[in-house]
Amino acid sequence: MKKLIYLLIFIPSLLIAQKQKVISGKVIDGATQMPIVGASVYISSAIIGNKTKIEGVIEGAMLGSTTDFDGEFSLKVSDDINFFLVSYIGFETEKIAITEHNTGFVIVLKEKAEMLDEIVLTGYQKIEKRKMTSSYAKVKVAEIQQAGVSNVDQMLTGQIAGVVIQSTNGAPGAPAKIAIRGTSTLNGSSDPLWVLDGIPLEGSDVPKDFSDKDNIDNLQSYAIAGLNPDDIESITVLKDASATSIYGARAANGVIVITSKRGKKGAMRINFNATSFVTQKPDFSKLNLMNSSEKVDFELMLASRSDLTYQQDRGQVARILNAYNQYNNFRDNGFSSISSEAQDAINNLKNTNTNWGDQLYQMALNQQYSFSLSGGNDKNDYYFSAGLFDEKGTTKGTGQKRYTITLKNNFSITDKLTAGVSLFGNQNTTDSYITGADAYTNPSYYSRNANPYLQVKDENGNFVYDPDLIERSDLNLDYNILEERQNTDYQLISNSIKSIFDVNYKFNNELLFNTQLGLQLDFNKTEKFGDINSYYTRKYKQKSKYSTGNGNYDYFLPEGGIIQNWNTNAFQYNWKTTVNYNTKFNQIHELDVMLGTEFRRNQQTEIHTKGFGFNSKTLTTIPITDERALENAAFETYKKNFNENAYASFFGTASYTFDKKYTFFSSLRYDGSNLFGVDPKFRYLPLWSLAGSWNVFREDFMYDVDIVTDLKLRASYGVQGNIDKSTSPFVIGEYYSESILPGLTEEVIRALTAPNGKLRWEKTVSSNIGLDLGLLKNKIYISGDYYYRKSTDLIGLKSVPLESGFNFINTNWATVSNRGFELAINTRNITTPDFKWTSSFNISHNKSIVDEIEIREEDFKPSLKGYSVNAIFAIKTAGLDSEGLPLFWRDGKKISAVDFYNLDNGTDGSQLSREDHRNLYSYVGDGTPKFSGGFNNKFNYKQFYLGISTNFNLKQTVKSTPSYHLSLVEPGKNYSSEILNAGTGKFPALIGPTTPGFDTDLVYSWYNSFDDGKTYNDLDIWVKEISYIRISSIKLGYELPREYLEKLKISSLNFNIEGRNLLVFGTDYKGFFDPESYGSIYSQPIPKIISLGFNLSF
Amino acid sequence: MKNIKYIYLILILNFIACDDYLDIEPVGQVIPKTVEEYRSFLTSAYASPIKHKVLTTYRADEINLDKNAEGVSYYKDIFIWNDLNPSPLTSSFPYAIMYRNIFYTNHVIENSKTIIGNQTAINQLVGEAYALRALHYFQLVNMYGKPYNKTTASTDLGVPITTKYDSDKEYPLQTIEKVYAQILSDIENAEGLLTIEQQALGYNYRFSKIAVKAFKSRVYLYQQEWQKSIDVANEALTINSVIQNLNVASSIMPSEYNSVESILALETIADFDLVNHTTISTGLINSYNQVEDLRFPVYFSKNTNGTFNSNKGSDTKYKSSYRTSELYLTIAESLAELNKTEMAKQQLLEFAKYRYTPAGWELYKTKVNLLDTNNLVTEILEERRREFAIEGHRWYDLKRTTQPKLTKVFNGTLYTLEKNDARYVIPFPNDAIINNPNL
Repeated sequence: MKKLIYLLIFIPSLLIAQKQKVISGKVIDGATQMPIVGASVYISSAIIGNKTKIEGVIEGAMLGSTTDFDGEFSLKVSDDINFFLVSYIGFETEKIAITEHNTGFVIVLKEKAEMLDEIVLTGYQKIEKRKMTSSYAKVKVAEIQQAGVSNVDQMLTGQIAGVVIQSTNGAPGAPAKIAIRGTSTLNGSSDPLWVLDGIPLEGSDVPKDFSDKDNIDNLQSYAIAGLNPDDIESITVLKDASATSIYGARAANGVIVITSKRGKKGAMRINFNATSFVTQKPDFSKLNLMNSSEKVDFELMLASRSDLTYQQDRGQVARILNAYNQYNNFRDNGFSSISSEAQDAINNLKNTNTNWGDQLYQMALNQQYSFSLSGGNDKNDYYFSAGLFDEKGTTKGTGQKRYTITLKNNFSITDKLTAGVSLFGNQNTTDSYITGADAYTNPSYYSRNANPYLQVKDENGNFVYDPDLIERSDLNLDYNILEERQNTDYQLISNSIKSIFDVNYKFNNELLFNTQLGLQLDFNKTEKFGDINSYYTRKYKQKSKYSTGNGNYDYFLPEGGIIQNWNTNAFQYNWKTTVNYNTKFNQIHELDVMLGTEFRRNQQTEIHTKGFGFNSKTLTTIPITDERALENAAFETYKKNFNENAYASFFGTASYTFDKKYTFFSSLRYDGSNLFGVDPKFRYLPLWSLAGSWNVFREDFMYDVDIVTDLKLRASYGVQGNIDKSTSPFVIGEYYSESILPGLTEEVIRALTAPNGKLRWEKTVSSNIGLDLGLLKNKIYISGDYYYRKSTDLIGLKSVPLESGFNFINTNWATVSNRGFELAINTRNITTPDFKWTSSFNISHNKSIVDEIEIREEDFKPSLKGYSVNAIFAIKTAGLDSEGLPLFWRDGKKISAVDFYNLDNGTDGSQLSREDHRNLYSYVGDGTPKFSGGFNNKFNYKQFYLGISTNFNLKQTVKSTPSYHLSLVEPGKNYSSEILNAGTGKFPALIGPTTPGFDTDLVYSWYNSFDDGKTYNDLDIWVKEISYIRISSIKLGYELPREYLEKLKISSLNFNIEGRNLLVFGTDYKGFFDPESYGSIYSQPIPKIISLGFNLSF
Repeated sequence: MKNIKYIYLILILNFIACDDYLDIEPVGQVIPKTVEEYRSFLTSAYASPIKHKVLTTYRADEINLDKNAEGVSYYKDIFIWNDLNPSPLTSSFPYAIMYRNIFYTNHVIENSKTIIGNQTAINQLVGEAYALRALHYFQLVNMYGKPYNKTTASTDLGVPITTKYDSDKEYPLQTIEKVYAQILSDIENAEGLLTIEQQALGYNYRFSKIAVKAFKSRVYLYQQEWQKSIDVANEALTINSVIQNLNVASSIMPSEYNSVESILALETIADFDLVNHTTISTGLINSYNQVEDLRFPVYFSKNTNGTFNSNKGSDTKYKSSYRTSELYLTIAESLAELNKTEMAKQQLLEFAKYRYTPAGWELYKTKVNLLDTNNLVTEILEERRREFAIEGHRWYDLKRTTQPKLTKVFNGTLYTLEKNDARYVIPFPNDAIINNPNL
């Protein structure tokens, strides 16, 4: 730039004809008050171009000078020029008006706050922000950090446009579901790739469907669960294809790059953070369940109706009536006619109220601490930290405890050679309730179903078993949730070490060699234990039942508890080598080339053992000798799984920048992975991208647009892809052993999947256009992006004729496109020495459309074609008829269920073909929020700090679990008080086979038994569109004035008080704890947290 | 710039080493290539438990089912021939699993030229694959098709035929004629390839020369090709003609895999529910001379309440497909059908010697010798009923012969399967129909 200006000075001839004046002055650095040498002082060519009307004048010529050794300048300009510009690298350009006085200007340049050396870390490269052509977003963890949150994923909620994060379960350590720019897959994982200091992390996939019980209840070890947010400096989210394609196939869902903290040059700095937080007990009344009085009246109502015969012997009211032999009397003559003992017993019941919320949920006091030590000099920098996070969940007996240790060291061995080593170690223990027996062990579920009058313990302190929790008509296995919690354990201990070794060799200023080896070792130990006196064990025992002839039975399960262990050992290494070549020629051409290789290998061994007859004192088990156990997988005592994958990739990027204005970028990567059974033509997948950016702000014509202080346009296009390794053109077999006849066990090979030579690779083509705009000295900074992603040939399971030998095959069956926009606005509203107010607002919208999908002949629900990936289909009801049966719409007319389902005596609706069935449904909305985003404000007043973070989701359609089933209401269960409205408004009446009304029997038998597609759950009365804004955090801080601290040699001391998730505004979500988990009857409530903490630095 | 050359060299070396790096054989997975691997591959088809014999026993007249029996809902509607609106819990007749096994056999046959290894072993393996495929089509067509009838076989619809895997293929129903032609062509291919005369104990679930002949003789019997059936049965008997003599005490039943008369011990004949939760029907009990018939105490045990249970059970040792007894009875039946009454009686009595006490045999002889041709055929079928009780023959024998009227009482209600009732043909399972609109 500077030399360019020199050149331009020697084009004076153009200006000779005009009257001239001389301007002179001095340029100084605002921070140091020292003169700036070599600053450019010039007049925009645009100005000259406008003023000179001489033929042949080249537009774009400039006039200017540079400052001398004393920072002084002098410049002859045409008389009608009335302002000039002063710029210097790293400083804000100043525009100076020429007034009466032409000389003696003192121009103070201010350092560019953020623009100076903003470097974007992609994990492979460091790219200067100005050369960045891709769509990305970066946040500093210090600015988004919240107390009482163990993982960084949840802190990102509402912070970054286009990154939609939903906490789906309030259990300690539960993952958040992250979607970056929608979903590009229908079956596979939609998790983004997490990268820590250049190393992609491995971990369990976050489950897609959180309405599923097992997804909520199973403890898993997730990729970032072991990282202490205090150790993280910043997070960069790479969103478009040009940013992510360098990561290869795994980056299809976006990449989140974590940059950890490192030591800074200077004296040793010690930092200590301590926070106590209180997680509040969830408000159980939100579930809107019936209380004892309501429930007893409800049961009386059921008993009074002769048409409702389902499970007539269940529920305490029925038991009392039966015990006093008054059931029929009550039904025929009413409550007043039954014996006074029975009346008393029933009335008593109304007064027994067990608050299941109090029994199962709690308030908990928790702690989190971290300590760090860092520093450095020219040769070496270091960072060491230790952390403890200890949280007890609001659901009793759940919790998470994590210890972390981080160590980072960087050395300069010679001027050219530097090396770095990092270690991240952690132990993470998660406790939960036992799962697997059935849904009753899930406290959220049980608390919705347990009767309010059911006591937990009797007068003698013995556990009361739920008499209504019955396996079969003749079997009750004695369930008491508190006893179960006492006698069972479920724990996951994850130990993880991640280490990174990094060597850089700088041949010269242009050529840099880097090699980086990352290791990740994970040891996960899961233990699930049910003692002898647990429902879990009692239920398991039933699996060992066998007949001893003549109607007698026995069990082969040995007496004792059941202990199950899963030990998983995972190892991965990632070895990456790159060569970077950066050069600049003729002052206006910049070229950055990177070439590299990456080798990655991971191994996972899982050993699952089951011990029966476990004695917790002797810690021994009893072997099962019964032959029946041999054929039953439930009694398999040992199982080992081993898995290994290798990847080899070659990649390169090239970036060319012209005149700091135009940047072109391209990347290419060949991804290879282990070849077993993979079609050779897919051995290496080519993934590539092209992108460009235009720094409009640097164009001359922008100089007189005062209001704009930055403007950049970006565009990118790229191809990503994936190949499904589970299908192969060959028949792949798996070894098992079988014994066909006695005395001989043989190895057998079972075909894994159907051979398929026709499968193409999944391909996602993305394009992105974006704009970055700074206004008013970047007081307002706006970034906007529009993107379009099309994923073709998505692989899915398709059912095939059974005659082929298979039920399903993988096939290229769908095309999905996502389009959307993102907008982020950051503003510095007020900046005075005492008071500062900054805001950031972001909003994003993503619309997915399934363009193509093969219809599955056996499906009950309509094809997604033309709808969103998460489209919700429901059956439109038209209110109720006079008997309370649902009515439906067809051709604009209200019709009965009999006509709608085409029910007929004898055929029970079975004549509905699957296609007819699909046609019953209508599209009612998108399960993805239409708009998501956040609005965050920060205020600083003298020593005080206030931060308010909010996030919102607007217009999301959710289908809830029905609060009751019209033909299957169990008197022994509690229900949402919605059931009291059954038969009125939109809620269908309770019916039995003999309930009066036209064809009620047909409707009853349809919903009760023949409705294989479970259409009752899909009635539109259970569907709701919700929108909400959550105040995720309000944080108040106070920093002690320095003058008090200096004496104590303390460099800073802050106190914080924070409230998390205190308020939600929006559509009512009655019946559920949170709008996020609306519709899910299994998820634990998202905790409200109040925390108090301090941060001390020396 | 020298440095760049080094780096370049490293990159190139990386590229070369790469294919080895990526060549991971997953533990426990294999793409079959050798004859040993293909053998293991075919063994998994042999090993998949096909319970058509168990389920047809519920449909025939050999057992009683009580409404309170455990698991009754799985079998109730099969028992009372309720095909129209059965309970969703009803056990499905095997279909998918049979075509899965056919896929295995097809894969072995299709790749017979490229299997690596000893040619004799390959021939034996491929021969078995042909025979096993034929066996599956035979079972399928007899479950889901009408019985073979020479005059209508070319129009009666049987089951789809597939001999090659193709994901886009249609699977239309083929005529019974075509299915039988496929079966016989596979059997002939098997005969040409099989090298083992008789399998050793423990391996006798695998086809051998004698097994494929016994199978072929049954196919001809079902086709009512009487003379061909006799000829093939006789060929088989030249390899093994021993019948277990029940006059000599033994702990082994004739139908067990290790009895002297076992030819192929592949199919499961009974399972836990069948043995423990049903009782033997009065009709079957009454068909025996409980005193003189040596089979009665061997086959059945009496409960305290006077009912009987089958002794043939779910243990793998009870697996049975063909045994020499069947060859004798097939020959007898075919001779009788060919009006060679005397020869037929001789054959039947020769067999019966091993099944009755000497006194009982004398009685039986007198009875048989008095029979005319028609009654002799009936008696031979009765003898089959007694001999193969709870071995999965009954339903198919009823179906291929007279399709008589059957009656059953369940939960106090009388159910009837009329003579020649359409329900002698089992409907295709629901999931098969949903996935293949051609059914």
